[in-house]
Amino acid sequence: METIFDLHDVSYTYLEKFEALNSVNLTMTAGEQISIMGANGSGKSTLLSILNALVYPTSGEFYAFGEPVTEEAFNSLEDNAFGRYFRKKVGIVFQNPDIQLFSSTVFDEIAFGPLQLGLPKDEVKKRTEEVMSMMGISSLRDRAPHTLSGGEKKKVCIASILSINPDVLLLDEPTGGLDPRSQLWLIELLQDLAKAGKTIITATHDLDIVEQISTRAIVFGEDHTIKADSNCDKVMNNLELLTSANLIHKHMHRHGKLMHEHLHSHDGENHHER
Amino acid sequence: MLPEWMKEVEIGPCQCCAVNVGKKKSFVENSISSVLNFFHDSLISEDFAKRDGLLQSLDPRVKLVSAIVLVVAVSLSRDVRVLFASYLLILLFAYLSKIEVSFFMKRVWVFVPIFAGIIVLPILFNVFMAGDSLVPVATLGSGAHLGPILLPSTIYITRQGTMFAITFILRVATCVSIAVLLFLTTQRDVLFKSLRSLRVPKVYVLTLDMCYRYIFLLMDTVRDFFTAKKSRTIKSLSVRDEQRWVAGRVGYMLVKSLDMSNKVHDAMISRGFNGDVKLLHDYAVRKRDYAAIATVLMLSSMLALISQNIIRI
Repeated sequence: METIFDLHDVSYTYLEKFEALNSVNLTMTAGEQISIMGANGSGKSTLLSILNALVYPTSGEFYAFGEPVTEEAFNSLEDNAFGRYFRKKVGIVFQNPDIQLFSSTVFDEIAFGPLQLGLPKDEVKKRTEEVMSMMGISSLRDRAPHTLSGGEKKKVCIASILSINPDVLLLDEPTGGLDPRSQLWLIELLQDLAKAGKTIITATHDLDIVEQISTRAIVFGEDHTIKADSNCDKVMNNLELLTSANLIHKHMHRHGKLMHEHLHSHDGENHHER
Repeated sequence: MLPEWMKEVEIGPCQCCAVNVGKKKSFVENSISSVLNFFHDSLISEDFAKRDGLLQSLDPRVKLVSAIVLVVAVSLSRDVRVLFASYLLILLFAYLSKIEVSFFMKRVWVFVPIFAGIIVLPILFNVFMAGDSLVPVATLGSGAHLGPILLPSTIYITRQGTMFAITFILRVATCVSIAVLLFLTTQRDVLFKSLRSLRVPKVYVLTLDMCYRYIFLLMDTVRDFFTAKKSRTIKSLSVRDEQRWVAGRVGYMLVKSLDMSNKVHDAMISRGFNGDVKLLHDYAVRKRDYAAIATVLMLSSMLALISQNIIRI
C-alpha cells in the first residue's frame, strides 16, 4: 500500500509555550480507516491540522505523498503544483461548522472547493447538484448557511468537502452535536466512502463509533504523545490503556437495589452515556 | 465531593414581591437589541428578493448599474418637483416589485431624518444662510454674538433655507430609497457577485460577502454574552462596573473574531483557496433587461438635462 503521510518525530507548540504534540512518529497508508482518540486537549485536532498542511511542525518532519510539507513549500498565496495536488487529495471537515461555512448559500459553499481547484464550471455545477442530492440537502440549496440547524450545517460541511472528491478525508469530532439519526447516517456514509477506497482519518473521543468507522486506532495520552497505535479491537479491549488516556473511567451507580460498577465513556463535553 | 455550602438547599415559600419593576434596560442592551432587530429584519427582507415582482425579474447587473446611474442623476437634481416625482417613481417600482410601500417608506425614513436632518438643520436659520423670514424663532437685539460669531438681531427660519433643506432631504431620501430597493429586490449573494461585473476586485467582493455572513454569527455571540450575564445578574452593577464589563466583552469579541478569521482562512486554504477567488455566476441578459437599462438611462439623462436647465419645466 502506498504511504500517504509520514511523520518523523513531529512536535508542535502553540505560542512557544503550550505543547500540543510531542515526538509523534506515524505512517499512514492509502485506504486506511483510522481513528485518532484522546481526551480534550491531547493534540488530536492539531495533528489533523498538520496532516492538512494548515499548521507546520515546530520540530520534526512531515511528508505527504512522498514530498516534504513545509511552510515555505506551501505558501498559500503562491500557486504551486504540489499545493494544488495536495488540496485535491486531502479534505478536512472541521469540528466547528461555522468556520467552514463562509459562503452566502449552500450551493456556493459546496461549489467553492471544486471552483478553487480549477474544475470547469459545468463540471462544478454537476458535482454540486449530485453531492447535494446524495446528501439529501437539495432543498437547502439557496439557504444561507447561518440559518441552518446543527445537523444540516454538518451535512453541508461534509458535502463541501466531498464535492472536491478527496482521496483522504480528515474529520474532527464528526459526531459532535449530532442527534442519533444523523450520527447513524454519518457512520453509514463513512462506511460507504471506506468501501470506495477512501482514506478516512477521524479525530474523536466518541468510543461508540470508533469500531464502526475504523480498523486502526491511535490513542493520544494527556502528555501529547502516542500511547497506542494498533488495530481497533486490540485498542478498544485494552481498558487499562483507555482509562490511562482518560477516555473511560469507572462509574458506580444503582440499578434498583443493586449497586453496579462499570466503565464509562463521555461523548463530547456534555453528553453522558454508557 | 461537593463543598459544604453547596449542599444547602433553601426551602419554604418565596418572601419577595415580583411587582417591583426596577430599572429599565441599559443603553448598551437597548442598542444591542435594536441592532439584532435590524439583522432580524434584514433576514426577513431576503424574502422580498424571492417574490415574483418587476425588479426581481431583472438581471442583477442591470439593476446594479441602473441604481448607480439613477443615484448620480438624482444627486444632480436641484428642483424639488423633479425630486418628488423621482421619489414617487421609486415608490411605484417598490409597489410593482411587491414590496409593501409602508414598510419600504418606514425603512428609508427611519435613517434619513437622523443623518440628513442633522446635517441640514443649521441651514434652516438665518445665522448660516441669509433669506426671507418664514418663522421667527428668537429676538436677540443688536450686537448679540456667540463667541466670535456675530448673530443677527432676530433669528428666524428662512424660506430659502427651508427649501434647501427639503430639497436636500428629498434628494437623500430618493437616493437611499434606490439603494434600499436594490437590496430588497436582489438576493445578497447575487448582488455581491454582480459587483464583479463592475470590475470590483474579487477579493473585495468575497470579503464583503463574508463580512455580511459573519456579522450574524458574531451578533449571536454578543447576544449570548448579554443573556449569560442577565441569567447570573442578581443586582444591577455600578455604571463603572458595567462599562468595564462592556469594554472587556468588546476586547474579547476582537480576540474571538481574529481567531475565527484565522480559522476561516484555514478552512478556505484547505479547499484550494490561494488568494485568487473564483466565483460561479452565469447570468443571461434578456430583452426586458435591455428595455430596463434603456429606460433608466433615458430617465437619468432627462434628470441630468433638467438639472442643468437644458430642459426647462
